[in-house]
Amino acid sequence: MKTRILAALLAVAAGTAQADVTVYSAGPGGLINALAAGFTEATGTKVEVFQATTGKVMARLEAEAANPVADVVISASWGTATQFADEGLLLDYDSPNAAMVPDFLKMPGAVAQGVSGLVIAWNPTSGTPKPSDWADLAKPEYKDLVTLPDPAASGGTYTMVEAMIANDMTDVLQGLADNGAVVAGANAAALNPVLQGAKAAVFAGVDYITMGNAAKGESIEAIFPPSGTVIAPRPMMILKSTRNEADAKAFYDYVLSDEGQAMVASVYLMPARSDVPADRPLIGDLKLLSAEGAPSRDEVLAAFAGIFN
Amino acid sequence: MSGRAGTSGTDGSRSFLWISAAGLGLIVALPALFVVLVAIFPGVGSGSLAAPFAHLIATLGDPELLLLGRNTLVLGLGTVGFAALLAVPLAALRALFRVPGALIWDLLILVPFMIPPYIAALSWIMTLQPRGYLQQLTGLHLGPFLFSVPGIMFLMALNTFPVVYFILSRTFETVGARFSDVGRVFGAGPWRAFWRITFPLATPGIAASLLLVFAMTIEEYGTPAALGRRIGFEVLVTGIENRVSEWPIDLPGAAGLSLVLVTMALAAFLVQRWLLNRRDFRILSGKPQAIEKRPLGIWAVPVVALFAFVAALATVIPVLAILGSALSRTISGGLRPANMGLQNFAALLDSGSEGLTALGNSLGLGISTALLAGLLGAITAYAVVKGRGRFRVVLDALSLTPNAMPGVVVAVGIILVWNQPWLPATPYNTPLILLLAYCCILLPQPVRYANAALQQIGDNLEAAARVSGASANRAFARIVLPLMAPSIVTSMILVFAVASRELVASLLVAPIGFETIAVYIWRQFDQGSVGLGMAMAFCAILITTLIPLLLIAVLRRISKNASFSLS
Repeated sequence: MKTRILAALLAVAAGTAQADVTVYSAGPGGLINALAAGFTEATGTKVEVFQATTGKVMARLEAEAANPVADVVISASWGTATQFADEGLLLDYDSPNAAMVPDFLKMPGAVAQGVSGLVIAWNPTSGTPKPSDWADLAKPEYKDLVTLPDPAASGGTYTMVEAMIANDMTDVLQGLADNGAVVAGANAAALNPVLQGAKAAVFAGVDYITMGNAAKGESIEAIFPPSGTVIAPRPMMILKSTRNEADAKAFYDYVLSDEGQAMVASVYLMPARSDVPADRPLIGDLKLLSAEGAPSRDEVLAAFAGIFN
Repeated sequence: MSGRAGTSGTDGSRSFLWISAAGLGLIVALPALFVVLVAIFPGVGSGSLAAPFAHLIATLGDPELLLLGRNTLVLGLGTVGFAALLAVPLAALRALFRVPGALIWDLLILVPFMIPPYIAALSWIMTLQPRGYLQQLTGLHLGPFLFSVPGIMFLMALNTFPVVYFILSRTFETVGARFSDVGRVFGAGPWRAFWRITFPLATPGIAASLLLVFAMTIEEYGTPAALGRRIGFEVLVTGIENRVSEWPIDLPGAAGLSLVLVTMALAAFLVQRWLLNRRDFRILSGKPQAIEKRPLGIWAVPVVALFAFVAALATVIPVLAILGSALSRTISGGLRPANMGLQNFAALLDSGSEGLTALGNSLGLGISTALLAGLLGAITAYAVVKGRGRFRVVLDALSLTPNAMPGVVVAVGIILVWNQPWLPATPYNTPLILLLAYCCILLPQPVRYANAALQQIGDNLEAAARVSGASANRAFARIVLPLMAPSIVTSMILVFAVASRELVASLLVAPIGFETIAVYIWRQFDQGSVGLGMAMAFCAILITTLIPLLLIAVLRRISKNASFSLS
């Protein structure tokens, strides 16, 4: 008897939790909440959001593999999209709104929601001279004053290290290590000591987070090094297992619409569409390092650990 | 144990054994089983049993494992040492003497339970690192100590020593006056009476509480992640968390490492059992007697100074640091008056009441978890301590297992169990799944507390009730339960405090669109709004401290006695 009541309760609870579109998204949370609200306003369709780091989103997807819940996934690492595509998990959808997205920001099954870039995040009140390029951070002025996110925890830093290895720039990393730079967990853990002034700069900080903090009045500046940087397109994917294809596609279209892309630009990300303006340097303004010829992930991480331990 | 077997137990314990077995099976054994399965069969998440053991052997053969295991052991033992150093003298003083302002010290030592460890770690970083709050105020910084292995141990001890303090002050109180008075009558000096009578009789409390600290330490993620990673000091939990939350995800590897961690905690558990079973520690029998505490005399000033010093370290400084960053407009602006204001608190209560919803969710879940885990814990402890048969050892071990399962692994196990497509109905993606997760993670607390209380209740009290004609259930309800109640209430307060701020499992299993306090704070940190996160942390600490205090006040009113206390 009791179990029957419990089962009925559970069924009710499960029924009410059923959403129209379920989106799993990497941060920033403000962006995905705004997109969800905008989409509901435009279409009347409800959106349920699970927002966490890329790693947590992937862990949840993997644990749920037997019975997937998400319809749309937005991650901060392009590699997740290529892996999901290889595993045949993605629905191939060519959104009409993706026409103005450059080819290198889309693939069958995924298109970028927006793009972030990597910068030196420098605190002007740290009493250090303004750095202009990566190699400056290996100078004595910055001894023991630099943090960098762990490439194992931050997809952006990983791409940076990978590109530096591919372009024979490992001497920069070695210089940082010799100069007492600290590997500090994920992006937020690397930025926090710089904000308080315990450290002067983040090597390979995330541009939109840095600019967002500067806009809030923090003493922090995003510097794009002239020797080149890397970008991290944030893939948006529809899972093949979706039970709600039409609404998932509508959400996908909405994120790529003028309105959706303007929301992306408002959090200082580069919009994926080349015809949407943004108040920040865009892909065309940046010198990009290619990762061509880089070794495998394990080898990149091992090379990094070899330099920093 | 041997001396007890003949007289112990009632028929009632049989039904308790079944209730306990069913509850533990559902809440603990099933997720644990799936963790074992995923360690052995890497593809079990997508329903495949291919390639058994291949991954587990690779994980166990990894030379990194040895390092992680050693670091975990070092951290656990070091933290237990610091926690004992902080707690044992304070607990003995509090229990045996009239300490001025005792209730205030109790309250201040209770607060660290309410401070989430990751928040405490962050507030210590912001206080002690170069240009942190300490340097802004005094010109000094303690960065090198903070980012060192002893520094991590010390901070973790500050988070965990209240467990020892509260269990021990109660134990010393029960043991103290009465038995040592007998010793004094026979001519022993006060020190001799303490070391030869009070201290040895308090062994169950000491062992149980230090074991809890060890288990809490090796399972804790926030502090080692915030501090250890920067100095390359990785432990098993951070290794497990990295495997689950850094892409590419390695669930089987994480599960394999968890098995190692569980083994370590079970070893500690066996040591505790061995310690307890060597002697009989029952001290409550017959008529209770009022406890007479001694005055401190000229020692009052140094004792109060000691309490104040520990309370400042454990509570006052972290809470002030949290408040300081919550009141700062920007982190880079520091503690200058021009940079201070109530913006973050306004944003917290204003922002579409998202923060308020999270607060309500967490408080509701915290209370439900405390009730469910407290009840199941009391039943399990009774079945284990007063019951018969080998099966109860299994129950005891099972009830301790979650203490050694990192929250993230419990979360993965729970998703694997409850998201099976063939289940006709499931709590997955409803708030009930968080209740299950929290009960699983926190069940060891009420079990330990109730266990320690039961160890000290002689069987003759219950037997007397039975002889006088009470049924088994009546004897439990009228004799055993009231004697256990203060301990269970204390453990439920603990459960409430931890459940309402649990982070690691919540992040992974929270139903879509459902925010809890910790998840809200974590998102703010992740998005760089440290001040807003700290404002929420401050409100949460305030509320989770006030609710138990109100509860205790009400209970004291109702029961008209002082046996309900923080300790």
